Amino acid sequence: ENREDMLSSKSNRLTEALEEANKLFSGVSCAREAALDAQFLVLASNLGKEKANELHSEMTAFDSLAFAEDLLTFMGINRIEVEENDSDSEGISGGYLPSNAWHKLGEETEKYFRRAPSFHYMLGSFKSEPPVPRQRIERQKKATGGEAKRAMPAQLKKMEESHQEATEKEVERILGLLQTHFKNDPDTPISFFDLVIDPNSFARTVENIFHVSFIIRDGFARLKLDDDKLPIIEPSKDNEGKENDRGAGARNQIVISLNQQEWK
Amino acid sequence: VPPQQHLPGFAPQGGDGDEDFSLSPTPSHSQVQRNLQRRSQDQINQKVSELVQFLLVKDQKKIPIKRADILKKVIGDYRDVYSEIVNRAGRTLQQVFGLQLVEIDTKHHVYILISDLPRAEGENLHRDNQTAKLGLLIVILSFIFMKGNSAKDGAVWEFLRRLRVQPGERHEVFGDVKKLVTEEFVRQKYLEITPIPLTDPPEFKYQWGLRAAKETSKKDVLRFVAQIQKKDPTFWTSQYNEAEATP
Repeated sequence: ENREDMLSSKSNRLTEALEEANKLFSGVSCAREAALDAQFLVLASNLGKEKANELHSEMTAFDSLAFAEDLLTFMGINRIEVEENDSDSEGISGGYLPSNAWHKLGEETEKYFRRAPSFHYMLGSFKSEPPVPRQRIERQKKATGGEAKRAMPAQLKKMEESHQEATEKEVERILGLLQTHFKNDPDTPISFFDLVIDPNSFARTVENIFHVSFIIRDGFARLKLDDDKLPIIEPSKDNEGKENDRGAGARNQIVISLNQQEWK
Repeated sequence: VPPQQHLPGFAPQGGDGDEDFSLSPTPSHSQVQRNLQRRSQDQINQKVSELVQFLLVKDQKKIPIKRADILKKVIGDYRDVYSEIVNRAGRTLQQVFGLQLVEIDTKHHVYILISDLPRAEGENLHRDNQTAKLGLLIVILSFIFMKGNSAKDGAVWEFLRRLRVQPGERHEVFGDVKKLVTEEFVRQKYLEITPIPLTDPPEFKYQWGLRAAKETSKKDVLRFVAQIQKKDPTFWTSQYNEAEATP
Protein backbone atom coordinates (compact mmCIF):
# COMPACT_ATOMS: atom_id res chain seq x y z
CA GLU A 1 0.00 0.00 0.00
CA ASN A 2 2.81 2.40 0.66
CA ARG A 3 4.13 2.27 -2.86
CA GLU A 4 4.99 5.93 -3.29
CA ASP A 5 6.65 5.96 0.07
CA MET A 6 8.80 2.96 -0.74
CA LEU A 7 9.71 4.37 -4.13
CA SER A 8 10.93 7.66 -2.84
CA SER A 9 14.67 7.83 -3.18
CA LYS A 10 14.89 9.35 0.23
CA SER A 11 13.41 6.41 2.07
CA ASN A 12 14.93 3.18 3.21
CA ARG A 13 11.57 1.62 3.79
CA LEU A 14 12.10 -1.03 1.14
CA THR A 15 15.29 -2.18 2.79
CA GLU A 16 13.60 -2.20 6.17
CA ALA A 17 10.72 -4.24 4.84
CA LEU A 18 13.11 -6.77 3.33
CA GLU A 19 15.00 -7.12 6.56
CA GLU A 20 11.80 -7.69 8.45
CA ALA A 21 10.70 -10.32 5.96
CA ASN A 22 14.00 -12.08 6.41
CA LYS A 23 13.48 -12.25 10.13
CA LEU A 24 9.95 -13.51 9.77
CA PHE A 25 11.00 -16.22 7.34
CA SER A 26 13.04 -18.01 9.97
CA GLY A 27 9.76 -18.57 11.83
CA VAL A 28 7.99 -20.04 8.80
CA SER A 29 6.85 -23.60 9.16
CA CYS A 30 4.07 -24.26 6.66
CA ALA A 31 3.66 -23.93 2.91
CA ARG A 32 1.12 -21.09 2.99
CA GLU A 33 3.52 -18.84 4.85
CA ALA A 34 6.27 -19.65 2.43
CA ALA A 35 3.97 -18.74 -0.44
CA LEU A 36 3.23 -15.40 1.16
CA ASP A 37 6.92 -14.83 1.56
CA ALA A 38 7.48 -15.59 -2.12
CA GLN A 39 4.72 -13.17 -3.06
CA PHE A 40 6.30 -10.51 -0.94
CA LEU A 41 9.63 -11.07 -2.64
CA VAL A 42 8.06 -10.54 -6.09
CA LEU A 43 6.47 -7.33 -4.90
CA ALA A 44 9.68 -6.15 -3.33
CA SER A 45 11.76 -6.90 -6.39
CA ASN A 46 9.30 -5.02 -8.60
CA LEU A 47 9.54 -2.04 -6.35
CA GLY A 48 13.29 -2.38 -6.35
CA LYS A 49 13.34 -2.37 -10.14
CA GLU A 50 11.20 0.73 -10.25
CA LYS A 51 13.45 2.47 -7.80
CA ALA A 52 16.42 1.59 -9.97
CA ASN A 53 14.61 2.96 -13.02
CA GLU A 54 13.96 6.22 -11.31
CA LEU A 55 17.61 6.49 -10.49
CA HIS A 56 18.49 6.16 -14.15
CA SER A 57 16.12 8.77 -15.48
CA GLU A 58 17.11 11.21 -12.82
CA MET A 59 20.55 11.39 -14.38
CA THR A 60 19.34 13.65 -17.14
CA ALA A 61 15.96 14.79 -15.97
CA PHE A 62 13.46 15.12 -18.76
CA ASP A 63 11.05 17.97 -18.24
CA SER A 64 7.87 16.60 -19.76
CA LEU A 65 5.90 19.72 -18.93
CA ALA A 66 8.22 21.88 -20.97
CA PHE A 67 8.08 19.31 -23.77
CA ALA A 68 4.30 19.46 -23.75
CA GLU A 69 4.31 23.23 -23.89
CA ASP A 70 6.80 23.24 -26.74
CA LEU A 71 4.69 20.70 -28.63
CA LEU A 72 1.62 22.87 -28.27
CA THR A 73 3.59 25.84 -29.53
CA PHE A 74 4.74 23.86 -32.55
CA MET A 75 1.19 22.74 -33.27
CA GLY A 76 0.18 26.38 -33.45
CA ILE A 77 -1.63 26.98 -30.21
CA ASN A 78 -3.26 30.32 -29.85
CA ARG A 79 -2.51 31.37 -26.31
CA ILE A 80 -5.10 33.49 -24.56
CA GLU A 81 -5.27 34.98 -21.12
CA VAL A 82 -5.31 32.20 -18.57
CA GLU A 83 -8.33 32.31 -16.29
CA GLU A 84 -7.49 32.09 -12.64
CA ASN A 85 -9.83 29.45 -11.33
CA ASP A 86 -9.79 26.47 -13.69
CA SER A 87 -6.83 26.06 -16.04
CA ASP A 88 -3.98 26.23 -13.57
CA SER A 89 -5.43 23.73 -11.15
CA GLU A 90 -5.93 21.16 -13.89
CA GLY A 91 -2.44 21.65 -15.19
CA ILE A 92 -3.69 22.41 -18.69
CA SER A 93 -2.51 25.73 -20.06
CA GLY A 94 -5.03 28.02 -21.62
CA GLY A 95 -5.22 28.47 -25.32
CA TYR A 96 -6.96 27.40 -28.44
CA LEU A 97 -5.54 24.50 -30.43
CA PRO A 98 -6.39 24.70 -34.14
CA SER A 99 -8.05 21.69 -35.75
CA ASN A 100 -5.09 20.89 -38.00
CA ALA A 101 -2.70 20.86 -35.03
CA TRP A 102 -2.05 17.13 -35.09
CA HIS A 103 -1.78 17.01 -38.88
CA LYS A 104 0.82 19.71 -38.72
CA LEU A 105 2.77 17.76 -36.16
CA GLY A 106 2.37 14.52 -38.09
CA GLU A 107 3.77 16.04 -41.27
CA GLU A 108 6.88 17.13 -39.45
CA THR A 109 7.16 13.71 -37.86
CA GLU A 110 7.23 11.76 -41.10
CA LYS A 111 10.88 12.41 -41.70
CA TYR A 112 11.73 10.57 -38.50
CA PHE A 113 9.99 7.40 -39.65
CA ARG A 114 10.79 4.91 -42.35
CA ARG A 115 7.19 4.04 -42.94
CA ALA A 116 6.30 2.07 -46.03
CA PRO A 117 3.69 3.96 -48.05
CA SER A 118 0.43 2.04 -48.10
CA PHE A 119 -0.20 0.21 -51.32
CA HIS A 120 -3.67 0.81 -52.79
CA TYR A 121 -5.04 0.12 -56.22
CA MET A 122 -5.71 3.48 -57.82
CA LEU A 123 -9.20 2.65 -58.96
CA GLY A 124 -10.14 0.66 -55.89
CA SER A 125 -11.19 -2.94 -55.94
CA PHE A 126 -14.40 -4.79 -56.76
CA LYS A 127 -17.37 -4.08 -54.56
CA SER A 128 -18.95 -7.25 -53.27
CA GLU A 129 -22.62 -6.18 -53.32
CA PRO A 130 -24.52 -5.77 -56.58
CA PRO A 131 -25.83 -2.24 -57.05
CA VAL A 132 -29.15 -3.41 -58.57
CA PRO A 133 -31.57 -2.44 -55.75
CA ARG A 134 -30.31 1.13 -55.74
CA GLN A 135 -30.98 1.48 -59.46
CA ARG A 136 -34.60 0.48 -59.08
CA ILE A 137 -35.34 3.14 -56.51
CA GLU A 138 -33.65 5.74 -58.63
CA ARG A 139 -35.74 4.80 -61.64
CA GLN A 140 -38.95 5.15 -59.67
CA LYS A 141 -37.96 8.53 -58.40
CA LYS A 142 -37.04 9.69 -61.88
CA ALA A 143 -40.47 8.60 -63.21
CA THR A 144 -42.22 10.65 -60.57
CA GLY A 145 -39.98 13.60 -61.26
CA GLY A 146 -40.82 13.37 -64.94
CA GLU A 147 -44.53 13.44 -64.24
CA ALA A 148 -44.18 16.45 -62.01
CA LYS A 149 -42.33 18.25 -64.72
CA ARG A 150 -45.15 17.71 -67.17
CA ALA A 151 -47.80 18.80 -64.69
CA MET A 152 -46.15 22.07 -63.68
CA PRO A 153 -43.89 23.21 -66.47
CA ALA A 154 -44.08 26.88 -65.61
CA GLN A 155 -42.93 26.50 -62.06
CA LEU A 156 -40.02 24.19 -62.75
CA LYS A 157 -36.70 25.76 -61.88
CA LYS A 158 -34.86 22.96 -60.10
CA MET A 159 -35.76 19.35 -60.79
CA GLU A 160 -35.21 18.07 -57.26
CA GLU A 161 -37.13 20.78 -55.48
CA SER A 162 -40.28 20.51 -57.55
CA HIS A 163 -40.11 16.74 -57.47
CA GLN A 164 -40.15 16.85 -53.69
CA GLU A 165 -43.05 19.31 -53.55
CA ALA A 166 -45.02 17.48 -56.18
CA THR A 167 -44.78 14.25 -54.24
CA GLU A 168 -45.97 15.87 -51.04
CA LYS A 169 -48.78 17.65 -52.84
CA GLU A 170 -49.91 14.46 -54.47
CA VAL A 171 -49.84 12.55 -51.23
CA GLU A 172 -51.88 15.21 -49.52
CA ARG A 173 -54.31 15.33 -52.40
CA ILE A 174 -54.89 11.61 -52.33
CA LEU A 175 -55.27 11.62 -48.57
CA GLY A 176 -57.79 14.43 -48.93
CA LEU A 177 -59.76 12.41 -51.49
CA LEU A 178 -59.74 9.40 -49.21
CA GLN A 179 -60.93 11.32 -46.20
CA THR A 180 -63.64 13.13 -48.14
CA HIS A 181 -64.98 9.87 -49.52
CA PHE A 182 -65.08 8.41 -46.04
CA LYS A 183 -66.82 11.39 -44.55
CA ASN A 184 -69.55 10.95 -47.13
CA ASP A 185 -69.73 7.20 -46.94
CA PRO A 186 -68.11 5.86 -43.78
CA ASP A 187 -69.13 2.26 -44.17
CA THR A 188 -67.80 1.55 -47.58
CA PRO A 189 -64.10 1.00 -47.73
CA ILE A 190 -62.47 1.85 -51.01
CA SER A 191 -60.98 -0.82 -53.13
CA PHE A 192 -57.25 -0.20 -53.31
CA PHE A 193 -57.19 -0.82 -57.00
CA ASP A 194 -60.09 1.50 -57.65
CA LEU A 195 -58.16 4.21 -55.96
CA VAL A 196 -54.82 3.84 -57.62
CA ILE A 197 -55.48 2.58 -61.10
CA ASP A 198 -55.57 5.16 -63.78
CA PRO A 199 -57.25 3.53 -66.79
CA ASN A 200 -55.35 5.77 -69.14
CA SER A 201 -51.84 5.64 -67.86
CA PHE A 202 -49.77 2.81 -66.48
CA ALA A 203 -47.11 5.18 -65.30
CA ARG A 204 -49.65 7.24 -63.42
CA THR A 205 -50.92 4.07 -61.77
CA VAL A 206 -47.48 3.21 -60.50
CA GLU A 207 -47.10 6.73 -59.29
CA ASN A 208 -50.38 6.55 -57.41
CA ILE A 209 -49.31 3.37 -55.66
CA PHE A 210 -46.10 5.14 -54.71
CA HIS A 211 -48.00 8.05 -53.18
CA VAL A 212 -50.45 5.84 -51.34
CA SER A 213 -47.54 3.97 -49.82
CA PHE A 214 -46.52 7.19 -48.09
CA ILE A 215 -49.93 7.60 -46.61
CA ILE A 216 -49.83 4.09 -45.23
CA ARG A 217 -46.26 4.42 -43.98
CA ASP A 218 -47.17 7.49 -42.00
CA GLY A 219 -50.19 5.78 -40.54
CA PHE A 220 -52.89 7.96 -42.06
CA ALA A 221 -54.54 5.02 -43.74
CA ARG A 222 -54.63 1.28 -43.44
CA LEU A 223 -54.64 -1.49 -45.98
CA LYS A 224 -56.79 -4.53 -45.29
CA LEU A 225 -57.98 -7.55 -47.21
CA ASP A 226 -61.73 -7.84 -47.69
CA ASP A 227 -63.80 -11.01 -47.91
CA ASP A 228 -62.74 -11.54 -51.46
CA LYS A 229 -59.10 -11.23 -50.45
CA LEU A 230 -58.81 -7.99 -52.39
CA PRO A 231 -57.02 -5.08 -50.79
CA ILE A 232 -59.09 -2.21 -49.46
CA ILE A 233 -57.95 1.04 -47.98
CA GLU A 234 -59.47 3.15 -45.24
CA PRO A 235 -58.24 6.22 -43.42
CA SER A 236 -57.32 5.69 -39.80
CA LYS A 237 -58.37 7.97 -37.02
CA ASP A 238 -55.46 10.14 -36.04
CA ASN A 239 -54.34 8.61 -32.76
CA GLU A 240 -55.13 5.13 -33.97
CA GLY A 241 -52.71 5.42 -36.80
CA LYS A 242 -49.88 6.76 -34.72
CA GLU A 243 -50.34 4.16 -32.03
CA ASN A 244 -50.18 1.39 -34.52
CA ASP A 245 -46.94 2.78 -35.72
CA ARG A 246 -45.24 2.29 -32.42
CA GLY A 247 -46.69 -1.07 -31.64
CA ALA A 248 -44.43 -4.03 -32.01
CA GLY A 249 -45.16 -6.00 -35.12
CA ALA A 250 -47.59 -3.37 -36.36
CA ARG A 251 -45.41 -2.66 -39.35
CA ASN A 252 -45.78 -4.94 -42.27
CA GLN A 253 -44.29 -4.81 -45.68
CA ILE A 254 -46.12 -5.64 -48.82
CA VAL A 255 -44.67 -5.98 -52.24
CA ILE A 256 -47.12 -5.28 -54.98
CA SER A 257 -46.16 -6.27 -58.44
CA LEU A 258 -48.11 -4.97 -61.35
CA ASN A 259 -47.04 -5.19 -64.89
CA GLN A 260 -48.62 -3.68 -67.92
CA GLN A 261 -50.47 -6.86 -68.88
CA GLU A 262 -52.15 -7.09 -65.51
CA TRP A 263 -52.98 -3.41 -65.55
CA LYS A 264 -54.71 -3.77 -68.89
CA VAL B 1 23.26 -38.62 -48.55
CA PRO B 2 20.90 -40.72 -46.39
CA PRO B 3 17.18 -39.91 -46.69
CA GLN B 4 15.91 -37.52 -44.06
CA GLN B 5 14.78 -39.40 -40.95
CA HIS B 6 11.53 -38.38 -39.33
CA LEU B 7 11.25 -38.45 -35.58
CA PRO B 8 8.99 -41.34 -34.48
CA GLY B 9 5.43 -40.21 -34.04
CA PHE B 10 5.98 -36.96 -35.92
CA ALA B 11 5.05 -37.88 -39.48
CA PRO B 12 4.31 -34.59 -41.21
CA GLN B 13 0.65 -33.88 -41.85
CA GLY B 14 -0.44 -32.10 -45.01
CA GLY B 15 -1.52 -28.44 -45.05
CA ASP B 16 -1.88 -28.03 -41.33
CA GLY B 17 -0.81 -24.43 -40.87
CA ASP B 18 2.49 -23.72 -39.31
CA GLU B 19 2.71 -26.75 -37.03
CA ASP B 20 4.16 -29.37 -39.32
CA PHE B 21 6.66 -26.85 -40.63
CA SER B 22 8.11 -26.25 -37.22
CA LEU B 23 8.02 -29.90 -36.22
CA SER B 24 10.15 -31.08 -39.11
CA PRO B 25 13.60 -29.54 -39.06
CA THR B 26 13.96 -26.37 -41.18
CA PRO B 27 15.45 -27.33 -44.53
CA SER B 28 19.07 -26.36 -44.83
CA HIS B 29 20.26 -24.13 -47.62
CA SER B 30 21.55 -27.03 -49.68
CA GLN B 31 18.27 -28.90 -49.20
CA VAL B 32 16.36 -25.87 -50.44
CA GLN B 33 18.61 -25.66 -53.48
CA ARG B 34 17.91 -29.30 -54.22
CA ASN B 35 14.16 -28.80 -53.80
CA LEU B 36 14.34 -25.91 -56.21
CA GLN B 37 15.47 -28.25 -58.94
CA ARG B 38 12.12 -29.96 -58.85
CA ARG B 39 10.32 -26.86 -60.09
CA SER B 40 10.53 -24.65 -63.10
CA GLN B 41 11.75 -21.07 -62.98
CA ASP B 42 8.31 -19.86 -64.00
CA GLN B 43 6.64 -21.64 -61.14
CA ILE B 44 8.98 -20.17 -58.59
CA ASN B 45 8.73 -16.68 -60.08
CA GLN B 46 4.97 -16.94 -59.98
CA LYS B 47 5.08 -17.68 -56.28
CA VAL B 48 7.49 -14.82 -55.68
CA SER B 49 5.15 -12.38 -57.44
CA GLU B 50 2.18 -13.66 -55.48
CA LEU B 51 4.06 -13.19 -52.24
CA VAL B 52 5.07 -9.64 -53.16
CA GLN B 53 1.44 -8.73 -53.88
CA PHE B 54 0.27 -10.44 -50.72
CA LEU B 55 2.72 -8.54 -48.56
CA LEU B 56 1.89 -5.19 -50.15
CA VAL B 57 -1.81 -5.62 -49.52
CA LYS B 58 -1.38 -7.03 -46.02
CA ASP B 59 0.76 -4.05 -45.11
CA GLN B 60 -2.06 -1.57 -45.75
CA LYS B 61 -3.32 -1.72 -42.19
CA LYS B 62 0.22 -1.89 -40.78
CA ILE B 63 -0.58 -5.06 -38.88
CA PRO B 64 2.49 -7.31 -38.89
CA ILE B 65 2.27 -10.35 -41.15
CA LYS B 66 2.59 -13.83 -39.72
CA ARG B 67 4.58 -16.55 -41.43
CA ALA B 68 1.70 -18.95 -40.83
CA ASP B 69 -0.54 -16.77 -43.01
CA ILE B 70 2.09 -16.57 -45.71
CA LEU B 71 2.47 -20.33 -45.75
CA LYS B 72 -1.23 -20.97 -45.84
CA LYS B 73 -2.35 -18.31 -48.28
CA VAL B 74 0.56 -18.09 -50.70
CA ILE B 75 3.24 -20.75 -50.37
CA GLY B 76 1.13 -23.87 -50.10
CA ASP B 77 2.96 -26.84 -51.61
CA TYR B 78 6.11 -24.84 -52.12
CA ARG B 79 6.95 -24.74 -48.44
CA ASP B 80 10.06 -26.78 -48.97
CA VAL B 81 11.54 -23.80 -50.83
CA TYR B 82 10.00 -21.20 -48.55
CA SER B 83 13.22 -19.47 -47.67
CA GLU B 84 14.17 -19.02 -51.31
CA ILE B 85 10.79 -17.50 -52.19
CA VAL B 86 10.94 -15.11 -49.25
CA ASN B 87 14.45 -14.02 -50.09
CA ARG B 88 13.57 -13.32 -53.69
CA ALA B 89 10.39 -11.48 -52.67
CA GLY B 90 12.46 -9.35 -50.36
CA ARG B 91 14.83 -8.49 -53.17
CA THR B 92 11.95 -7.54 -55.49
CA LEU B 93 10.40 -5.35 -52.83
CA GLN B 94 13.68 -3.59 -52.36
CA GLN B 95 14.64 -3.14 -56.00
CA VAL B 96 11.21 -2.37 -57.40
CA PHE B 97 9.37 -0.70 -54.52
CA GLY B 98 12.12 0.62 -52.30
CA LEU B 99 10.75 -1.37 -49.38
CA GLN B 100 12.46 -3.60 -46.89
CA LEU B 101 10.94 -6.83 -45.61
CA VAL B 102 11.95 -7.15 -41.98
CA GLU B 103 11.35 -10.04 -39.62
CA ILE B 104 10.67 -8.21 -36.38
CA ASP B 105 10.07 -11.34 -34.34
CA THR B 106 12.39 -14.22 -35.15
CA LYS B 107 10.78 -16.48 -32.58
CA HIS B 108 7.19 -16.19 -33.80
CA HIS B 109 8.18 -15.27 -37.36
CA VAL B 110 6.40 -11.99 -37.91
CA TYR B 111 7.22 -9.55 -40.72
CA ILE B 112 6.70 -5.88 -41.52
CA LEU B 113 7.48 -3.67 -44.48
CA ILE B 114 9.42 -0.49 -44.01
CA SER B 115 10.75 2.06 -46.42
CA ASP B 116 14.24 1.50 -47.71
CA LEU B 117 14.62 5.05 -48.92
CA PRO B 118 15.06 8.30 -47.03
CA ARG B 119 11.88 10.31 -46.68
CA ALA B 120 11.34 12.61 -49.65
CA GLU B 121 10.70 16.25 -48.99
CA GLY B 122 7.45 17.75 -50.00
CA GLU B 123 3.84 17.61 -49.05
CA ASN B 124 2.18 14.34 -48.31
CA LEU B 125 -0.39 14.06 -51.08
CA HIS B 126 -2.46 11.37 -49.43
CA ARG B 127 -4.25 13.39 -46.78
CA ASP B 128 -5.83 11.11 -44.27
CA ASN B 129 -5.79 10.48 -40.59
CA GLN B 130 -2.57 8.49 -40.75
CA THR B 131 -0.48 11.63 -40.59
CA ALA B 132 -2.15 12.89 -37.45
CA LYS B 133 -1.85 9.45 -35.83
CA LEU B 134 1.86 9.48 -36.56
CA GLY B 135 2.14 12.77 -34.68
CA LEU B 136 0.45 11.24 -31.65
CA LEU B 137 2.62 8.17 -31.91
CA ILE B 138 5.94 9.99 -31.95
CA VAL B 139 4.84 12.03 -28.97
CA ILE B 140 4.18 8.85 -27.00
CA LEU B 141 7.39 7.17 -28.19
CA SER B 142 9.38 10.27 -27.22
CA PHE B 143 7.87 10.35 -23.78
CA ILE B 144 8.64 6.68 -23.22
CA PHE B 145 12.24 6.94 -24.43
CA MET B 146 13.09 10.13 -22.57
CA LYS B 147 11.70 8.61 -19.38
CA GLY B 148 14.06 5.66 -19.64
CA ASN B 149 12.47 3.35 -22.22
CA SER B 150 9.43 2.58 -20.15
CA ALA B 151 6.62 4.58 -18.61
CA LYS B 152 3.57 3.80 -16.53
CA ASP B 153 0.19 4.20 -18.16
CA GLY B 154 -0.80 6.82 -15.61
CA ALA B 155 2.21 8.95 -16.51
CA VAL B 156 1.63 8.60 -20.26
CA TRP B 157 -2.01 9.68 -20.09
CA GLU B 158 -1.21 12.47 -17.66
CA PHE B 159 1.26 13.76 -20.25
CA LEU B 160 -1.24 13.41 -23.10
CA ARG B 161 -3.81 15.31 -21.07
CA ARG B 162 -1.58 18.35 -21.32
CA LEU B 163 -1.91 18.06 -25.08
CA ARG B 164 -5.72 18.03 -24.80
CA VAL B 165 -5.92 14.27 -25.38
CA GLN B 166 -8.07 12.49 -22.82
CA PRO B 167 -8.84 8.78 -22.67
CA GLY B 168 -12.43 9.28 -21.57
CA GLU B 169 -13.44 11.88 -24.16
CA ARG B 170 -14.04 11.53 -27.87
CA HIS B 171 -11.21 13.39 -29.58
CA GLU B 172 -11.96 15.65 -32.52
CA VAL B 173 -9.21 14.09 -34.63
CA PHE B 174 -8.56 10.66 -33.12
CA GLY B 175 -12.02 9.62 -31.97
CA ASP B 176 -11.63 6.90 -29.37
CA VAL B 177 -8.05 7.72 -28.37
CA LYS B 178 -7.82 5.03 -25.72
CA LYS B 179 -8.70 2.40 -28.32
CA LEU B 180 -6.26 3.88 -30.81
CA VAL B 181 -3.37 3.80 -28.37
CA THR B 182 -4.06 0.61 -26.44
CA GLU B 183 -5.41 -1.48 -29.32
CA GLU B 184 -4.44 -0.20 -32.76
CA PHE B 185 -0.91 0.92 -31.92
CA VAL B 186 -0.35 -2.30 -30.00
CA ARG B 187 -1.66 -4.53 -32.79
CA GLN B 188 0.56 -2.72 -35.24
CA LYS B 189 3.45 -3.35 -32.84
CA TYR B 190 4.27 0.33 -32.45
CA LEU B 191 3.69 0.03 -28.71
CA GLU B 192 3.98 -2.75 -26.22
CA ILE B 193 1.73 -2.56 -23.19
CA THR B 194 2.24 -5.07 -20.41
CA PRO B 195 0.47 -5.31 -17.07
CA ILE B 196 2.53 -4.66 -13.96
CA PRO B 197 2.06 -7.66 -11.68
CA LEU B 198 0.34 -7.41 -8.34
CA THR B 199 -0.96 -3.91 -8.84
CA ASP B 200 -4.42 -3.12 -7.66
CA PRO B 201 -6.07 -1.37 -9.48
CA PRO B 202 -4.10 -2.87 -12.37
CA GLU B 203 -1.40 -0.66 -13.86
CA PHE B 204 0.41 -1.05 -17.16
CA LYS B 205 3.86 -0.46 -18.52
CA TYR B 206 4.26 1.25 -21.90
CA GLN B 207 7.29 0.48 -24.03
CA TRP B 208 8.33 0.70 -27.64
CA GLY B 209 6.97 -2.10 -29.81
CA LEU B 210 9.02 -4.16 -32.25
CA ARG B 211 7.83 -2.10 -35.23
CA ALA B 212 8.76 1.20 -33.61
CA ALA B 213 12.30 -0.02 -33.13
CA LYS B 214 12.61 -0.67 -36.87
CA GLU B 215 10.67 2.24 -38.35
CA THR B 216 12.39 4.83 -36.27
CA SER B 217 15.27 4.93 -33.83
CA LYS B 218 16.20 6.39 -30.48
CA LYS B 219 18.48 8.77 -32.34
CA ASP B 220 15.64 9.99 -34.56
CA VAL B 221 13.24 10.38 -31.68
CA LEU B 222 15.82 12.30 -29.65
CA ARG B 223 16.38 14.54 -32.66
CA PHE B 224 12.64 15.13 -32.78
CA VAL B 225 12.53 16.14 -29.13
CA ALA B 226 15.54 18.38 -29.65
CA GLN B 227 13.87 20.03 -32.63
CA ILE B 228 10.67 20.71 -30.72
CA GLN B 229 12.49 22.05 -27.68
CA LYS B 230 15.04 23.97 -29.77
CA LYS B 231 17.98 22.39 -27.99
CA ASP B 232 20.88 20.21 -29.01
CA PRO B 233 20.37 16.46 -28.58
CA THR B 234 23.46 16.36 -26.37
CA PHE B 235 21.54 18.40 -23.81
CA TRP B 236 20.13 15.13 -22.48
CA THR B 237 23.40 13.32 -21.86
CA SER B 238 22.29 9.85 -20.85
CA GLN B 239 19.58 9.64 -23.49
CA TYR B 240 22.06 10.88 -26.10
CA ASN B 241 24.63 8.29 -25.12
CA GLU B 242 22.07 5.54 -25.18
CA ALA B 243 20.78 6.64 -28.59
CA GLU B 244 24.29 6.69 -30.03
CA ALA B 245 24.97 3.24 -28.65
CA THR B 246 21.86 1.71 -30.19
CA PRO B 247 22.23 0.75 -33.85
